[in-house]
Amino acid sequence: MVVFIELMNSIREFLDTGGQVLTVIAGVICLMWLLIFERLYFFFVGYQKMKKHMMQTWQSRGERSSWNAEQIRIANVSRVTESLNHNVALIQSLVVLCPLLGLLGTVTGMIEVFDVMAISGSGNARSMASGVSKATIPTMAGMVGSLSGVFIVTWLQRKTKRRTEQMEDALPLAH
Amino acid sequence: MKKMTKLLTTLLLGTLATSVFAQQQAASLDQLLKQLEQGQIAQSKENKQREADFNARKAQQDQMLADAKNTRDQAVKLSTELEETFQNNEIELGNRIEALNKRMGELKELFGVLQQVAGDARSKFTTSVVSAQIPGRGEFLDEFAQSMGSTSKLASIEEIERLWFELQREMTQNGKVHKFTREVVAADGSKSPQEVIRVGGFSLVSKGKYLEYIDETGSVAELIRQPNSRYLSSAQTLTSSNGDVVPFALDPTGGSILSLLVQAPDTQERVDQGGAVGYVILAIGAVGLLIALERFITLFLMGSKINRQLKTDVASNDNPLGRVMLVKDENKHADTETLELKLSERILAEVPKITSRLTLIKIVSVVAPLIGLLGTVTGMINTFQAITLFGTGDPKLMAGGISQALVTTVLGLVVAIPMVFISTLLNTRSRGIINILQQQSAGIIAERAESEELAKKGA
Repeated sequence: MVVFIELMNSIREFLDTGGQVLTVIAGVICLMWLLIFERLYFFFVGYQKMKKHMMQTWQSRGERSSWNAEQIRIANVSRVTESLNHNVALIQSLVVLCPLLGLLGTVTGMIEVFDVMAISGSGNARSMASGVSKATIPTMAGMVGSLSGVFIVTWLQRKTKRRTEQMEDALPLAH
Repeated sequence: MKKMTKLLTTLLLGTLATSVFAQQQAASLDQLLKQLEQGQIAQSKENKQREADFNARKAQQDQMLADAKNTRDQAVKLSTELEETFQNNEIELGNRIEALNKRMGELKELFGVLQQVAGDARSKFTTSVVSAQIPGRGEFLDEFAQSMGSTSKLASIEEIERLWFELQREMTQNGKVHKFTREVVAADGSKSPQEVIRVGGFSLVSKGKYLEYIDETGSVAELIRQPNSRYLSSAQTLTSSNGDVVPFALDPTGGSILSLLVQAPDTQERVDQGGAVGYVILAIGAVGLLIALERFITLFLMGSKINRQLKTDVASNDNPLGRVMLVKDENKHADTETLELKLSERILAEVPKITSRLTLIKIVSVVAPLIGLLGTVTGMINTFQAITLFGTGDPKLMAGGISQALVTTVLGLVVAIPMVFISTLLNTRSRGIINILQQQSAGIIAERAESEELAKKGA
């Protein structure tokens, strides 16, 4: 319990030194990873179920060679692709947003530094420290968040493409 | 002096008279010479007369000289006597001062300490909010410090005790939360007596607002810019509480942090610092937001209608999927190839309605940070202009340009970040709908036909 409280305290301290933008970045990163975990869960559980169901209904069809059958197959594959692609674009846009938010934090931090300079002159480095940490920490956090997401997003996109192709192969047309 | 003036006047008159006379009378050079000769004769006569006069008065002159010498001797004598007295007095004075110093001894150090303490207390009282409650403490301390500074005056026991009392009172008051009524200058300049709460030596609060104490005028004024609402609410609870323990946000520096607050610009002023470029960015952002809102509503309604369509077999005319499905109903007996052509034709007609204006939102999200960059560069140009004119000595002169540079960048990002997010959401939505139209509509029609066939067979 004490360890947990200390952990919470140090997190809060970190968020305080980083300013409000850091909180937003934290929110964006949390949302991004939530969506990523949802995707992973779907890939390993939901997709398998869906695939099995699709194959069963396809196998149970009497004829698989007419125009109707072909169109139904295309529609089914498209449905699978759609559910595979669900939220991937959103995750990717969140990855792009992270460094932008970091930049926003940098600029607002610099504004604070210049405010301090305007009030107390440029001689006092210590009074500028708060602004400088508000400028640098969000940049770092944005970079870390974006980098942590980039690999997963690329992996997800490749996986989606591969699964779509597999799905097409799994529903063969009889000629 | 009088004699001298007389003599000078006579001489002057004499010369003038002769010259006038010469001018008037001298018809020829010979005549002038004669006149001059006569004049000399007259002058020497006059001189002889004067000499005789002088000789006659010689005895009188001697007497006067003797008198003058006598007076001088007397004065010299008096001066010597006075000088002697002065020296004696000087010695006496020195002795006495020495005696005084000897007797004062450590007391002198005490007075030095008193002067210092009085001065320190004076400067402490200038910034202390306790002075708002107890006015007029400063004058006594000022006088006291001054009289201690000049060595001629001794401090009385009353004065020393008064100093002690003031220090003790400050200390005691610093530990108290005290309510009192006094005149407060409101933010609009009007004065009215109000109930003021002083929290130790830290803050003054009245009617849920923070006040500041201005020593120069001895007045208490409302801060023109109040801190955040959560601090104000704590001040409000303090105002309305009666004796309970309440949480309160105080200024540990005794007012200097709160007075700096007045200088910090609020959001409105920040945006103003961005200048014309900042407003252009905001306008573009507003336009983008309006378009996005319209698209959100349209696509959401369209999506819900398509979902409804997916669940029923009856094609309706109010959504793109329904309109595509109607193609089959319109061409019941067409062969598959014709049907496919008709379908793709209808789909092509539907797609532009779904994707319209989405590019505009994308453009806004790209253009906003670019305009921000433009603002940054113009701001930097202003800054360098200031540097060329005034040099780099004063950072305050450069502050305008720099804040313009930074604020426009911030505004650009503030507009771009949500726009990127919104455009992704809208794109996903529209791509989903287009996907349904392009790849699933034919399948849906086929499924419908098959289920109809099954129903017929069953019947």
